Amino acid sequence: MEQVHPTRMELMKKNAQIRLAEQGRDLLKEKMDALIREFLRVVHTVSKSREELEFLSENARRTLLTAQAVDDSVALQSASFAAKRMVTLNIKGKNVMGVAVPVIEKRSFSRSICQRGYSIIGVSGRIDEVAERYERTVDVIIGLAETETALRRLGGEIQMTRRRVNALEQVLIPELKKQAKYISITIDEREREDIFRLKKVKKILDRKKKEKIATRRQDAGTAPLPGEGP
Amino acid sequence: MIKVEIGYVNARVRGMKGRLLQPEALEKMLHKPDVEAIISQLEGTAYHEDLERASVQYAGIYCIEHALRMNLVRTYRTILRIIGGEPFAFCIHIFLNKWDIQNIKTVLRGKHVHIPHEETLACLVPAGELDEATLVELVKQPDIRSIIDMLATWEILYALPLTKAYPRYQAKRDLAVLEYALDKFYFGRALASLQGRSYNEAIVRNLLQTEIDITNIKSLLRLLRDKVSAEDGRAVLIPGGKHLDVAFLSRLMSQGGEDALAGLARTPYASAHPAGRLAGKEISVYEKELDRMLVTQGIGAGRGDPLSIALVIGYLWLKSNEITNIRIISRCKNAFVPDDEIREELMYV
Repeated sequence: MEQVHPTRMELMKKNAQIRLAEQGRDLLKEKMDALIREFLRVVHTVSKSREELEFLSENARRTLLTAQAVDDSVALQSASFAAKRMVTLNIKGKNVMGVAVPVIEKRSFSRSICQRGYSIIGVSGRIDEVAERYERTVDVIIGLAETETALRRLGGEIQMTRRRVNALEQVLIPELKKQAKYISITIDEREREDIFRLKKVKKILDRKKKEKIATRRQDAGTAPLPGEGP
Repeated sequence: MIKVEIGYVNARVRGMKGRLLQPEALEKMLHKPDVEAIISQLEGTAYHEDLERASVQYAGIYCIEHALRMNLVRTYRTILRIIGGEPFAFCIHIFLNKWDIQNIKTVLRGKHVHIPHEETLACLVPAGELDEATLVELVKQPDIRSIIDMLATWEILYALPLTKAYPRYQAKRDLAVLEYALDKFYFGRALASLQGRSYNEAIVRNLLQTEIDITNIKSLLRLLRDKVSAEDGRAVLIPGGKHLDVAFLSRLMSQGGEDALAGLARTPYASAHPAGRLAGKEISVYEKELDRMLVTQGIGAGRGDPLSIALVIGYLWLKSNEITNIRIISRCKNAFVPDDEIREELMYV
């Protein structure tokens, strides 16, 4: 136990700290509940998007295999040069129970065949399908990036809040209570000691007083008063 | 005189044709357990030399694909050497020039998005008239303007459409402008050079016109699926088809989805009609049927007059088809696709 001064002032301070810690714990528990509710909502969206992504990527992989097999990988790569472009994302943020989560502007990156930069005369429909499927996959990946980042941050925050609640519940509050109890016991003990000491002092003083009176009477030759006898 | 020269060419090509893989060999390949087993089988064929050279740099599926490309280039170069400057050579050149167009497009695409030279060079297949040295020089040019200038300096005809389309490309920064110009020039020039009445020209003209029809149908379906306006779509269509002219196809395009498909069902290409497929967006299925039709016709052309270039044309289609089949089998084996699926879904003729 850390060094505590067993005083009434300290006891009052410790009791105030306990009340504050318990209040903090309750607030953190409420925050954790709200975060868990939000987390479960996002988990549902993420699992749906994950399934969609798996389906789309499997589909895209299959069309890619067909295009590589029939049209040759160099024709595919050549077409990919023409279709290459930068993807710019507009990312904002929002606050969920004090957690900053990203919000990615929803827009489709799928293009029509006239927008891919190559002549459709020389590029087969298989290669077009590969481009189309992967563009759709990119759309889903971007949506998933938003929800998965939110999920990760919410998860991290829940974990941190749980650690804080645990720290309050398992460490800080019991420690403070222990300290308060120690102070209280020490003060009680000290009070008892004081009473005992006072009683003892009073007894000694009384005895000394009686001895003094008896000595004075002896010196004066008078018989001791009833109740003053040795 | 010409007949003697054609006789020599045909004799050489017949010899080359004898080295093509028989259907049984492809069937055997289909039952191989993995890519390594396919390589072992191919080592006993005409691909042996190319596989040996490719295996220095690549392994597995990449080794096969590289070897197939090298073999294709070697074969087409041999054909070009055999036919030399014969009067009928231009008919063969028309078939091989498709590779030139593809290579120039690749160089332009690489330059458009600043792809490193090595990557662009790896995508080139010098199976046409433009040899590797020419293509390497083109790739080395700093920008698209310089590539067009270099083509013009070397008096390569493709500089003409590119020079004409360049201002539009510069204004829109859309590479498709240059690509469409090249494609249309290729078909236009090929048709213009096949105006004669000779048997040789008739064979190539017939195939080319069928190819134009099939290309136009494929374009039409893709444009319809993506709901591109008839106005924009018309610019993509190539004039000079055998059965379908641009006006008819434009009309189908303006009619839209189902009506256009019904219109196509009344054409000679009805056997590959995409009933119910366009809705499922599986254009590649219909495209495959159309390609199959074209390959069959190309290979069938080889059964024409033995004293014409029919045999050479047929051989070129057979070779290209064989390479496609080997690539399909290898790729699918590499991806553990079941044999039946490879046979039914992927293999060509």
